[in-house]
Amino acid sequence: MPGKIRPSNLTIRAYQVGFGDCFLLSFGYPEAENESDRERHVLIDYGSTGMPAGIDSAAQMMSVANDIKQRCEKGKLAMVVATHRHKDHISGFTTKKDGSGTGDIIRSLKPDMVVQPWTEDPLLEDPQPAKPDEKRAGSPVLPVTNAQFVSTLADMNSLAGTMRTEMARLRLAISSKGLSDDVADEIEFLSEDNSLPNRMAVANLASMGKNHYVNFGYDLDVSATLPGVKIHVLGPPTLEQHSEIQKQKSRDENEFWMLQGAARSFWKMQAASSELIAGCAKSNTRLFPDADVYEGYFPSNNRWFIRRLDELRTEQLLGLVRMLDKSMNNTSVILLFEVGGKKLLFPGDAQIENWEFALGKKEVQDLLKDVTVYKVGHHGSRNATPKSLWNRFGHKDKSDSATGRLMTLNSTMKGKHGHSKNNSEVPRTTLVKELSNFSDYRSTEEAAKNKELFLDIPIHL
Amino acid sequence: MISHATPRTRRLTIVAQDPSVRVNGKILTTEVDLPAEEIAPGPRGYRVQVVDYDTSSGFLYQPRDYPSLESGASADPFKRDADKPNNDWILTEPRFHQQNVYAIVMKTLARFEFALGRRISWGFRGHQISVAPHAFADANAFYSKEDQALVFGYFKGTSGETIYSCLSHDVVAHETTHALLDGLRNRYTDPSSPEQAGFHEGFSDVVALLSVFSLKDVIGTLLQPDFKQKDRPAESDLIDSDRLKIDELKKSVLLGLAEQMGQEMLGVRGDRADALRRSVMLENFSPGDVDRIEEFQEPHRRGEILVAAILNAFLQVWRARLDRLERGRRSGKLDLHLVVEHGAEAADHLLTIAIRALDYAPATDLQFSDYLSALITADKELVPDDTRYNYRKILLNSFAAYGVTPASENSPDGSWETCDARLTYDRSHFESMMRDPDEVFRFIWENREALDLHDQAYTKVISVRPCLRIGPDGFALRETVAEYIQMMTIQAQELQYFDPPIGKPDGLSADREVTIYGGGALIFDEYGRMKYHINNRIDNVARQTPRLKYLWKYGYFDDVNMAQNAFARLHLNRALNQRSRNAEVF
Repeated sequence: MPGKIRPSNLTIRAYQVGFGDCFLLSFGYPEAENESDRERHVLIDYGSTGMPAGIDSAAQMMSVANDIKQRCEKGKLAMVVATHRHKDHISGFTTKKDGSGTGDIIRSLKPDMVVQPWTEDPLLEDPQPAKPDEKRAGSPVLPVTNAQFVSTLADMNSLAGTMRTEMARLRLAISSKGLSDDVADEIEFLSEDNSLPNRMAVANLASMGKNHYVNFGYDLDVSATLPGVKIHVLGPPTLEQHSEIQKQKSRDENEFWMLQGAARSFWKMQAASSELIAGCAKSNTRLFPDADVYEGYFPSNNRWFIRRLDELRTEQLLGLVRMLDKSMNNTSVILLFEVGGKKLLFPGDAQIENWEFALGKKEVQDLLKDVTVYKVGHHGSRNATPKSLWNRFGHKDKSDSATGRLMTLNSTMKGKHGHSKNNSEVPRTTLVKELSNFSDYRSTEEAAKNKELFLDIPIHL
Repeated sequence: MISHATPRTRRLTIVAQDPSVRVNGKILTTEVDLPAEEIAPGPRGYRVQVVDYDTSSGFLYQPRDYPSLESGASADPFKRDADKPNNDWILTEPRFHQQNVYAIVMKTLARFEFALGRRISWGFRGHQISVAPHAFADANAFYSKEDQALVFGYFKGTSGETIYSCLSHDVVAHETTHALLDGLRNRYTDPSSPEQAGFHEGFSDVVALLSVFSLKDVIGTLLQPDFKQKDRPAESDLIDSDRLKIDELKKSVLLGLAEQMGQEMLGVRGDRADALRRSVMLENFSPGDVDRIEEFQEPHRRGEILVAAILNAFLQVWRARLDRLERGRRSGKLDLHLVVEHGAEAADHLLTIAIRALDYAPATDLQFSDYLSALITADKELVPDDTRYNYRKILLNSFAAYGVTPASENSPDGSWETCDARLTYDRSHFESMMRDPDEVFRFIWENREALDLHDQAYTKVISVRPCLRIGPDGFALRETVAEYIQMMTIQAQELQYFDPPIGKPDGLSADREVTIYGGGALIFDEYGRMKYHINNRIDNVARQTPRLKYLWKYGYFDDVNMAQNAFARLHLNRALNQRSRNAEVF
């Protein structure tokens, strides 16, 4: 296709995947010589962890896959983006041995490019201790390598997996005492979303097209795949990039690396300890196999405290799983598409810790001023639309008839995650109110309400 | 018939530091003296009950029986086995772990009671604190006020071995101190400033570290060169003076220990490696620096300043004592036992005044500068003549090196100024004032103007405690310490009506309710006259404005659960360097 050609229209199709993300961006090139080049498609995420009542999850996800295939008339995806490894973003990429999985359908569309965060690079999977020549000058501390960070993510996944065993016991212990299931539900949801990602989905993403494992500033050249489109990668930062922000705040320039090291040991120990317990549970043994335990009853003077301890442990698991959920969200790829004078921002589930590196750059601040479409971060949770980001958008307008008003697009489902009593409901009421007041707010909940598979949003270029 | 005195103490074996500290390959243990009591299985005593329940697996381990003190049998069931050449059984015997936590908690409690000359309550209603030595598979340990408990986790260490935080002396003493401090000043767990939260952490470290010096055999061992080596030469009674320079002492008794145990306990404390003892190496800085540096807004890090100031003062006092010992000697060697003895005495005195200073600290919103004035006052009350070892001078210099100067700016020596307000005593009764909060409240109410209290704030006397101590002339002195607090819950927009106005944090909505606190400690002398009034006014704009700004920035107005299990949260946040980014969320 000649390089000068530009798309003249664009449609964003937001699939109704319940609690998850799945967007298909279709760029129209009516002037292209070959008919097969006249439409180009980018799939951003394809995952779900819950559907509205009455909708069969497997069937819905299959309908989505078939629709994507149908939409890609010429049997081709230009690009697949998997923002991060949470199930609600990648579960759809799962293949089946007999080739009948939704991931097999996506694979058959032979994407030219597959974009994922740097943390998914398989070459980083086997961390070696940093070599002496990688030591930071004058520093007694070995910096944590990006590869080691990746292994920490794996520890987190493994912890989330084993945590479910412990939670199963606690849920029984706690619910038998008539306590609320809210916390147990949240832990189960988060631990499932964060446990080891489906290997089939991961393997599929790693091999269906040319892989790009990106970080802030990565040069994603799409001139051949999507002529006339420019894509800026605004996140996630690498550890080195992140350390720059920390350095400005800390007296000790090694602080960042020491804290990274501490966090790495922390998760490693948590994962190992959790495995210790899971192992005991599996083999029906205990920490001190030779010590006597109370069988079948607890002395009455211990019961109040035992119940309190079970509750305390539950809260603790919730704290841990929230932390690791956040770490995982912050590996999200943040992409800003620039096309035909419009700017479309797809930040995955990134929170401020991911965003802050980009937001500290003058050129990014300028880029963000005239964003046209903002995919709301993390299904509209309270902490994935950082206020310092939101405040940068210049096309916010109170008047719903204003021309060029910012459009915000949310893929979400109420009631799946969080509770309004602790301000954690998703989507967050105050955020939705803000989005509705200052932008054209669209949500996949509209499609769910109308029992439709998707929401089409035409963007005039 | 009146019988002879029953035993007042009983001795129990504990792990001296943690199981990684070994001498001749053997886990270093020691015996500690505790208040005597007939221990029920658990161990369960009058202030501590151990419940060995593991939430991660759901098992409750059975406790062992303790022989009666009257029986004449060895009251310590583990002593004989602990002395065997190989005592690795310690690692896998949960009943020893139960004893270890019981003994360290009781020892720490007894140390506080000794310093203050009175019984200390826990920070919750109830007499016995519950202790779970194997509470969960998690690199964490903390005091939970809500659960009236100290909980200790176990975890797989980096070496692949299971690490039990309940076997670490420092961890157990540290968490116990949180519970005791909460009993003495229960508003110090209120959301306030990084310094107040940092005080809880730093003070708990100071108590844990200085307590070690009372274990003289442990310190004696640590001062020996190469004590870790298996086939080292027999212990000598003499020690080279070169090993007793301040930097050498740091290395041997503080940092040397850290090298062994710091790494594995890192997760439990939520710190970077061996921060506890490395605090002593903290670089100096100037006044005001600390507020500007982001990392010192984190409570543990902030607490390191307190640890550094007090431990450096301790080393200097110890060194000053050794200087006197060395005077006139030419051999270049000192008697090890004397060296240890002087270290123990210096640590003991500093620990006593560190604890006693709490009585002279304001009831709310504590700053390190307040605590420094309280320390100086406590020491001055206990030892009016400072010329022998210059404790006060050394403390002032040591804090000054970290930018902390006494809050009592007008007194020449940094101690609190005595109260010179014209107070009315006529309508209150001396005897009742010694114990009755209502009587003290009547006194406060009567004198609210003279005491400079805000008359619209909710005011409550939260404690009235007798304080008995031996005066410099050897006579017993009975003083009384009472605490009151003032609270106001108002809308953020009403902050402007204070004179001068208290600043509303940017972004906090005008109709959001905020609570501000003030309060003080009243020290009455043996005649019932007020000697000190140490207070923070509720409308002190210089404190309230930054306090509200800090709380807003770090999310306290936002998360309804923030105050619950604050210590567990703090440890986790520290471990992962999580800072609340409240200004960024919806």
